[in-house]
This record gives sequence, C-alpha cells and structure tokens, in this order.
Amino acid sequence: MTSLPDLNQKIQSAAKRLLAEGKAEVVIGCRQGTTPMTVAPIFCRTEDDCNQLIWSNFAKINLATYLPKYPGKVAIIAKGCDARSAVGQVVEKQIERENLYIVGVACGGLVDVEQIQAREPRPIRAAEEDWATIKLSGDGWSSSLPKEDVLRRNCKTCVSRTPEGVADELIGEPTEALPADDYADLKALAGQSLEEKMAYFKGLVKNCLRCYACRNACPLCYCPVCFVDETRPQWLGKSQDEMDTFTFHLLRAFHCSGRCTSCGGCEAACPMDIKLREFNRLLDEEVQKDWNYLPGLSWDQTPPLTTYRPDDEADFIK
Amino acid sequence: MAEYIVKENALKDFFKALTEGGKRRFLAPAEVSGKLQMIETDPEKVSLDFGNTHQSPKSAFFPQTEKLMAFHKDTAKSDPFVYKPLGLDETAPMVLFGLRPCDARGLVVCDRVFQNNRFTDPYWKSKYESAVKIGLACHDPRPACFCTAVGGSPFGEAGLDAIAFVRDGGLALKTLSAEGGEFLKGLSGLESAEIGAELAEKKQAAEAGMPGPLDQSKVAGAAVMEIYNQPHWKDTADRCLNCGTCTFVCPTCHCFDIQDEQNEKGGLRMRNWDTCMSWLYTVHGTGHNPRPTKTERMRQRFMHKLKYIPMKQDGACGCIGCGRCVTLCPVNIDIREVARQMNG
Amino acid sequence: MHNPYLPYPVRISSLRIETEDKNLRTFKFEFLNPADEDKFAYLPGQFAELSIPGQGEIPIGIASSPTEKGFVMFTVNRVGQVSSYLHNMKVGDVMGIRGPLGHPYPLDKLEGKNIVIIAGGFAVTTLRSTIVWMIQPENRPKYGKITFIYGARTPGLLCFKDDWSEWQKRADIDVHVTIDREAPGWDGLVGFVPTVTKNVCPPPENTAAIICGPPVMIKFTQPVLEEAGYSHDDIIMSLENRMKCGLGICGRCNVGPEYVCKDGPVFTLSQLNQLPREY
Repeated sequence: MTSLPDLNQKIQSAAKRLLAEGKAEVVIGCRQGTTPMTVAPIFCRTEDDCNQLIWSNFAKINLATYLPKYPGKVAIIAKGCDARSAVGQVVEKQIERENLYIVGVACGGLVDVEQIQAREPRPIRAAEEDWATIKLSGDGWSSSLPKEDVLRRNCKTCVSRTPEGVADELIGEPTEALPADDYADLKALAGQSLEEKMAYFKGLVKNCLRCYACRNACPLCYCPVCFVDETRPQWLGKSQDEMDTFTFHLLRAFHCSGRCTSCGGCEAACPMDIKLREFNRLLDEEVQKDWNYLPGLSWDQTPPLTTYRPDDEADFIK
Repeated sequence: MAEYIVKENALKDFFKALTEGGKRRFLAPAEVSGKLQMIETDPEKVSLDFGNTHQSPKSAFFPQTEKLMAFHKDTAKSDPFVYKPLGLDETAPMVLFGLRPCDARGLVVCDRVFQNNRFTDPYWKSKYESAVKIGLACHDPRPACFCTAVGGSPFGEAGLDAIAFVRDGGLALKTLSAEGGEFLKGLSGLESAEIGAELAEKKQAAEAGMPGPLDQSKVAGAAVMEIYNQPHWKDTADRCLNCGTCTFVCPTCHCFDIQDEQNEKGGLRMRNWDTCMSWLYTVHGTGHNPRPTKTERMRQRFMHKLKYIPMKQDGACGCIGCGRCVTLCPVNIDIREVARQMNG
Repeated sequence: MHNPYLPYPVRISSLRIETEDKNLRTFKFEFLNPADEDKFAYLPGQFAELSIPGQGEIPIGIASSPTEKGFVMFTVNRVGQVSSYLHNMKVGDVMGIRGPLGHPYPLDKLEGKNIVIIAGGFAVTTLRSTIVWMIQPENRPKYGKITFIYGARTPGLLCFKDDWSEWQKRADIDVHVTIDREAPGWDGLVGFVPTVTKNVCPPPENTAAIICGPPVMIKFTQPVLEEAGYSHDDIIMSLENRMKCGLGICGRCNVGPEYVCKDGPVFTLSQLNQLPREY
C-alpha cells in the first residue's frame, strides 16, 4: 500500500502540474487542519498552496460541494464519493465537463472523530495517521487505534472507494470495493407499524438546530434558493416546531433520492451528530431496487427520478 | 466574599438547596439525547466531569424559539389588546450551576446587546437578572480552548455570582457578587472554609497549559475599512460553506428572526435564532442584498466578533474562546487563525 | 418594564393610493388607546415597525410630522409579504405600530443653517415630515433658506402632490419638483434630480443637504454637491436595510459597527465613508 507521505507527494505533484499546464485555475483539495483530527479544504492557486495538499483519514466534507459555485476551470482531488458527486453535477448540468478535472485518489475509508472520542475520552492533543492506524496522544499518554474500528458508517459499505472509470487520472493503488449496504436495519424497520416508523424518524432529528449545515455541506444541494428559505410563499415555519423540522429533513431526502452518493458529508457537518443518512438510505434502496441505478458512475446516465419520458412504463408518472 | 466547601456526600443536598425549595428552576450540565448540555435537570443527574457543554448556555436566557406575544386574527375587531405579551411573568427564576467561565463571559457580551444604550429586551432581562449564576472552573481545558487568548481564564469570574471548583472529596466555592453571597448564605451542604490558596494554585495550574494573549492591537487601532478590505477574506470564504454551525453554537451570537405563526383564530409572534451566514438574513424586499455572497457574510461574523463588538463594548472581545466553532466547523475555519490574519 | 416589542394597537383611519402605478399607498393610523399617541412621541426622520398580526412587521419611515395631531402617517411601497397584505387592508382595520425607532434628522444641529432637501421617488416620506415640521411658525425662524428638490420618473409617480403644491405657493420655501421626461399636462421642471440640484442648490456656506432617494439618484447627486463645495459632514442621508427588532439587538441591519435601526437610519456622508457599503 502506498504510504501517506508518498500519496501526498503524488497529489502535490499532480496539482502543480495541472496548474502549470493550465488544465485548472484552481485545485481543490485538503490540507492539515489547525486542531488535532481536522483537515481544511484548500483552494490551491500557487505552488506553495499545492505543497500543503494531503490525503487524510480525517477529511470531513465532500469537496464536490464547492464545484457548482466555482466559475472557472477547476481540478478536484477526489475520493470515490467526491468524484461520483462531481459526475452527478455534470450529469445534472450544474458544471461543465470541460471545466472539470478529476484527480482520483484511491480511498481506504475515512474515520469518525465522534467514535474516536467515544473510545478515548481524554483530551487528545495530537493525532498521527497512516493508511491503517490512528495514533493519539495527550498529556502524558499515547495510544493507537486500528482505523477499521472507527470508520465512518458510510465508508463501511462504500462501493466506489476508487474513482475508477470517471477520474481523469488516478493516484494510489486501487482499493477494493466493499460489499454494498444490505439495508438490513432498515428492512427490519419496514416491518414495524406506521407509528413506530414515524417515532424512529422523528427521533433521529429531535436534536436538530435547523442550522442547515447538512444542506450546505451537501454536493446535491445546489439550489440557488432552498425551499426552506423561500418567503413568498413561505413553505415552512422557522421555529423548532417538530413538524417543520421533520418536513425539512423529509423533503431534502426526497430531493436527494437516487442522487446521493453516500459520501456522509451531511453527517460529518452536522453539529448535533444527527444520523441524517438514514433518510437517504431508505430512498437509495428504493431507487436501486426499482431502477438498478447508482448515481455518479457514468457521464451519461441521468438519475431515474429526474428523468421524464412520455412512454414511461411506470404508471405513477401519468 | 465568602468561601465554602461542599463535601461529596453533601453535593446532592446542596444542589437541591439551590432550588430554594422548588422556587427556582435548577439548570446544570447534564446529558440529554447523548449530548452534555446546560439544561433544567434533576439535581441527581449533574455532571461535574466534562470539558464543556456541547452547546453554549445562552439558550437558558435566549431560547432558540421564544414566544413573544399572542394575537387574535380578526383585524376588523376594535379590541385594544390586539397583542398580549407572553412569558414575562410566569416563569420561575433560575439558578445555574456549572457554567464554564468562558460561557459566563459570553453572557456578559450578550447582556450588553440585549440591554444596549437605547433599549432593554424584557424577555432577556427578566431571565438574566433574576438568575443566580454559579460557575465551575476548568481544570483541564480542551485542545480547542483559548479563553486565555481573549482575556479570560479557566478560573475567570466575570458574569458569575459565585465560582466553584472540583477538589478531592467534593467542591469548593467562592462568592463573587453581593447577590451570590446572599443567596448561598446558610444553604444546606455548605461549610465555611479557607480556599484561597487552593484556588490560586489550581488556577495557575489550569492556565499553565493555555495559550497566551492573541495580539489584536492592530485590529483595535485600525479603521473599520482597513480590516474590511484585507485580502485574506477571500481565501477563508473559498472554503466557508456558510452553514451557520459557528453561529448556532457560539455563546455570543445572538441574532434572531421574528416570525408570526397563526391558525384560524389567532397566533403567536415568536423569535427564532437566525444566522448571518444565511442569504435570507439581509436580503431586502426588493431583492437587493447588501451581503450578496458568502464572502461578505463570513467576513461580517468575524468583523462583528473581533472589531465591531470591541468598538461598541469598550474593547471587550466578542469571542470568549470556548472553541466550539473551532471544533464543530466542518471546514476548519479557525477564529484564532482569522484573528491573526486580521491583525497581520 | 417597557416592552419595546409590543406594538401600539391602531386603526386605519384613512388611506389613499399615492401613485398612478398603485404601488404606493398612504395610510393614516389613529391610536386605539389615546394615551399611546403621547407615548409615540417622534421627530422627523424616525421610523416605526408596522405590525400586522400573522403577517409580520415592516420598518417604514414616518411621513407625518409630530406637529400633525390625531394620526401618524406612512406611505408604503408594495414589495413583500407584509406590505402586500397591508395594501389589501381597509379603513377601520386594526393592526399595530411599534416605535418610534431610530434617530431623527439632526434638527437641532441644523438650526441657523440653510437647508437643501433632495428627494427622489417615494423616498420623500421622512422628508415630507421634515418640511412640514420646519415650516411650522414655531420652527421656521430656526432655519435659513429652505430649498426642496423633488423628482420622480413621471408626474403620476410624485407623492404628496397636495403638500408640495401648497409649499410652492409659500415664500419661505423654494420648491423645485421635476420629472425625468416631458409628459402631457406637465408644465413643471423636466430633468433628473442631479441636474436640477446643480442649477438650484444654494452655496455650501452654512448650508446642509438632506438627501433621500434611490441609489442611482444618490450616486449622481453626491458628486454635484461635492463639486458645489458641500463638506461630507453637511450631507445627511437615511439608510434602509432589512430589519426585524428595530432595537439594535437582532443583528442583520448593521453597517459595520452601526445598527441602521438603533444608531441610524440617519448618517452623515462623513460617517458613511468610514463604513462598509452594506446597505
């Protein structure tokens, strides 16, 4: 397996080359963050910027989120999920293919800082990482964790760790795709009563602050004005009313159905650690079942629910 | 100024006594839905071993949703009481135990906004001024804590009626205000003691690992437009998602929206936390938006914390160094880094 | 404790369509509790929140003068949800007003000076208040020459025709009302406000200008005043921003460290030069 320093070196060289060759005006990637276990997205325009680029297990959000608002030629250092989201944005005509350059990086999954802190409650003053291990240290102590034990939930069922097929170039040795999500827990839920299901989903969002960080971190949420911000008419109340909060999450999930690449950016951004993907997973399963469709794997296949054909065989459309 | 200790086996009695026989609502750090929060709680469930509460305690005085008044809907009626204020008389005063000193300073910053040079917000004032605020000093500040960088201390006393610290075998307390002294006098579980030396020693130990002052002298001396026009804003804005997490968890962010909600008969006017990161926050009815892009919105927040509040509050920093935004920002925008750039 | 969020209940006592495009309506309100009129003591340049239960509130400059008793008057442009709802309300309907808010024009500091008042379109509201106040017998001697320049696109878009027609007949105020282009039946001035200002504004010595209008008018009028020698301390403006509380608490209307609601809306150009253009 390529070591992280090697991987970083290759990413930095690729970024510098792309800027020098004019293939991109900016390269979007990640750099080390200011506190342990954080990374910061960086928009590289100079060689100095490129020298800060890293691959990290602590990456949080999906970098494709930045693409629809960026006007020029842009390259993205993309894990499998970032690349799939970028492809989705091209398919949905939010960005131009010729303005996008995907530097694919084979990914071994990201870690969940919340899980790490649950296992290590002492204040963590420093963290080191390699491909398989997270080393933590604090005041007079150090410990290490196998990365596999603290993987983000979405990374445990990732079917596209390596952005093969869609990347313009690939860095790192391809990692094997994992067995897809079997949705076992959600299938169990399907057998419950309507009240029980309602209670489950309402329970998921009871801590919601309605900050909308999930929406802003989501590469699919590129609407110029989100329905929650519309004022004429105002679709939703702004208070902490349970139904308004629930409606937001439900509608957002429907807007994303069949388009979500399971990047987990929403959950990583949520300040209240809400398991937002439960809404999306349920709909992903439906879309996969009915149309055998996985978003972001091809440049010309549009998401089934955004496709309209007069001769569609499904009768609900007519 | 009085000094006390509370022995471990007397803690529950002491917490119960703080409610003055149920006359006061008791708020303390306790777990709710998997997060430690400053909430109304059973004295049995108080946590003494924590970094800080997940969210700031501002919601005790400034709830995320607060009813301001009720109204009836029939505008043709000549009822002189179209609006009826809510929530000003009926709530019992609070006693808060376990406020971190940074958060208590945050409340002081908010208080100067809610009670400004022209207006007093009665919804804030009625809760804030009747509350007894007992702090709990930090022995073990977290990696993202920087109260000492912005004029505070893990043992800071601003905005508190009394401060407690954890010691072997229980708690020690020092009263800070006249109200705090009067309130604590004779409460069950308290024993008079000399704690000054122990407090000084623990304070020194806690501060030892903390960062030194963040130099903001150039920001303080510069004209507003000089800081406003600095080139670094664009770089930070590149990665800002405008998600508003920072504003929701910040102990000094106090912006709100006023909304009416109604049914056939009547309705409520309420206020809800709002965020300057939102496009909607500043947009005019005409569609013109004075802060049209995320660059202006992100800059507004830092200018407000680090330039505008100091200008309006005699130099007091609008950031109290709790580190919540640093920890929770999904793209690692670190206010310490921004403050350095502004001063650079 | 005074509750500044609580509106005074008022009844719409009269309303009229102000402009030919029907986008502006002028409402007079009377207080349901007569004592509230005294509590609502205001000066020209201040504003209030018009408060409609279930719809919300909008900040609107007060168009009446405190010397006009028995009512307060507002001219409202139909742009958003609350203003559209208000445009459909009738005489006799009950709602609320909350205020007065903000600072008035610096009427005391202007004493002894010549005053030039420049208005464009419907931004004339608080300037109407100012002129009505200034030409009262008890106030008029405090000021020197008063010049009023007012422009709109068409004759039908000029507000307060009855008022300025009366003022035109007076000797103690110099009135110049202009429209952008020739129009049938109009025998008054034709031309843009900046041009008229250039022609008629008094010399800058001991003179202050109060100017309210659309951004494009201000953009071209400000250089005219500068060329004429007006100092930025003597150019007074009134800002608008999205507002909610009106009390300097809820955020959003701030321009730099100043809240338009609490510290404004009246600022001198010198003050604005120090602030971001976030309005």
